[in-house]
Amino acid sequence: MLIVAPLAITWVAAAALALLDGRRRWVGWLAAAALAAATVSLAVLTVTVVDGDEVEQVVAGGWPAGVGIVLRADALGVVFALLSLVVVLFALVHEVVAGVRTRGFPALMLFMATGLTGLFLTGDVFNFYVFFELAMISGYVLSAYGGETRHYGAAFIFAVVNLLGSFVFLIAVAAIYHVTGTLEMAVVGERMTEVDPSAAIMIAVGIFVAFGVKLGLFPFHFWLPAVYVGASPAVAAVLSGALANIGAYGLLRFGGELLSQELALGATVLIVIGSASVVYGAVQALSRRDAGEVLAYSAIGQAGYVLIALGVGGPVGYAAAVVYAIVNSLNKALLFLAAPLRGWLVGAAFVVGAFSVAGLPPTGGFLGKLELFRAGIDAGSVALVGLLFVGGALSFVYMFQIYQYRYWRNERLSDPSPALLRAVALTLAAVVVVLGVWPEPLLLAGREAAQNLGAGQ
Amino acid sequence: MSDSSVTVLTQMTARLLLAPILVISVAVLVNGYASVGDGFSAGVIASLGLLLQYVSFGRERSDRLLRLRLVPAAAFAGLLGALAVALVPLLRGEPILTHWPPPGSDAIYVGSLELITAVAFDVTVYVLVVGCVVGFARAIARAGEGVAR
Amino acid sequence: MTLLFAIAVGVMFGSGAFLLLKPDLFRIVVGIVLVANAANLTLIASGLSRGVSPILPLDGETPSDPLVQAMTVTAIVIGLAVAALLLSLAYRVYTSHDTVDLDELSHAEARRESELEREEVEI
Repeated sequence: MLIVAPLAITWVAAAALALLDGRRRWVGWLAAAALAAATVSLAVLTVTVVDGDEVEQVVAGGWPAGVGIVLRADALGVVFALLSLVVVLFALVHEVVAGVRTRGFPALMLFMATGLTGLFLTGDVFNFYVFFELAMISGYVLSAYGGETRHYGAAFIFAVVNLLGSFVFLIAVAAIYHVTGTLEMAVVGERMTEVDPSAAIMIAVGIFVAFGVKLGLFPFHFWLPAVYVGASPAVAAVLSGALANIGAYGLLRFGGELLSQELALGATVLIVIGSASVVYGAVQALSRRDAGEVLAYSAIGQAGYVLIALGVGGPVGYAAAVVYAIVNSLNKALLFLAAPLRGWLVGAAFVVGAFSVAGLPPTGGFLGKLELFRAGIDAGSVALVGLLFVGGALSFVYMFQIYQYRYWRNERLSDPSPALLRAVALTLAAVVVVLGVWPEPLLLAGREAAQNLGAGQ
Repeated sequence: MSDSSVTVLTQMTARLLLAPILVISVAVLVNGYASVGDGFSAGVIASLGLLLQYVSFGRERSDRLLRLRLVPAAAFAGLLGALAVALVPLLRGEPILTHWPPPGSDAIYVGSLELITAVAFDVTVYVLVVGCVVGFARAIARAGEGVAR
Repeated sequence: MTLLFAIAVGVMFGSGAFLLLKPDLFRIVVGIVLVANAANLTLIASGLSRGVSPILPLDGETPSDPLVQAMTVTAIVIGLAVAALLLSLAYRVYTSHDTVDLDELSHAEARRESELEREEVEI
């Protein structure tokens, strides 16, 4: 029953809080409390699943498996669910402290948390799509949050591009059902090996395009900077730290588990596109001055690393992809939340984020880069290791550039931000540092999550 | 919103049609367990009837005449009800969305109506759909009035 | 029958994609709705089977596949919500910028940004 708890808590709270005025402070804190409760229950579930090495499964309606809709918690799912809920929680607390500006905001954040938990914990391909749309629709509405009218255009384009991706994914789901006759992920993975290769490759391409758009990979990235730049810090943190996880998770789950043969076939393409994203993101980020813009382009580059790790494949590659996705999502949330703040110690929080993006110890990002290097060495490719090194160096340069612009130039001019806001950013920075100095849990999570991937290769 | 293209005839038709549309929607709702019909399609039929009122009378008059202001809030009440139906079996130690009475045993009959928890679920879906569609319509209508002023 | 569905889906997706390339916001919304319905039709086509309605089939009767219909109705609901959302977003853009043309919109934004920059310099 533990698997239902986070989903039920966030969903009921979202529906109930939607009736209240979210601008009142106590409504916001209530939402944060519900989300915290859901996160705790999910953390307990994560420990049981990752430590006990078992898969929790519930079939709705008491139907036999294969008929009813399956909720399934394996290591990969719970790790991503926990990560996303933590990011949403931090962003929500940040915004509640700063003052919520529209009445629907807390409820929307909870609806997004519901969608994210649901899609990471489902074992059914179509159910995945439904929860995915729930999270994405909350994301579309949130991207218009902030009150600035000039941002509506960006929100519209964000919605249209991602919807196109969603519908391509839906068509791929229909195709999966047509060729395998089931929607259950575990069974799809088994039957996919016997499917006509040309059909399987079409499905794989559709799914890659859909998640590539979510992740903002190089050829599908054009919507991303405009949305992140205009959005308020909490929303940008959620979009890049929680919603973008869908892309990484989808590529791992569908590519690594359901379509592992096709993934191996397209490995070179993935590595090439990933490298293009890394280089493009870094170069664009270098040429920008605005912190939001730099972070947006940096997000494109960082997504490329996940793709490279996925292309390398094997236990080492998949584990690296999981670890890097986790670290990257925390980095992005931290940087977006810390960048607009001013005052004592906020610079330190930002530096932790910047170090983590560049992959320097003692932050979690070091671990991510380390795993990537291991994957690169495992693949035996000098070019790849070189690219990782250059990418890391470039990201250090552009992060340092923003630091220079934001904190050295005119710190004296602005008042310090509220202490509580700074405390939120510092807590998140502490999480990133703890992951770096006590790496066992993160590495274990990565190994366990990657365990079932690539079985069909 | 008093558009000249909306004639008295349209308004009369809209008013006359409202009651039959609501009756038909309820019929489709309760029909769901013996024949074609369910909460969603019934909700769509009912909300089409309400949308017709908005189109022919404008937002303010429809809100006043039919007390539609609270309908969007009903959407969330419907969602809460649906979640309650889904989650209550958990208290009895059964998986979510288990319906009662279980398949094979006799339902409680009220006339020709069969009462099972699936019916309760469909009623909440009905409320949810009507609330959502009316909410959409009101939101767009309000945005439009902002321009007109 | 499958060929017919394939052609219909192709035409709908093609027209939707064509409309998506237009600069007019409302045409883009219609394009997305067309693409959504092309996806719905694909779902229906993915489990095409002829049979009696799947409520308690008697012996010897084969029911049609109920799963695709359940999936399609869910997808239609999502499509409806998405269409409403996009329409209201487009409407917001229209009320705040007085245009539904994406080209004009980006011009207006560029103009406003340069004005803002000029103000900053003056300060």
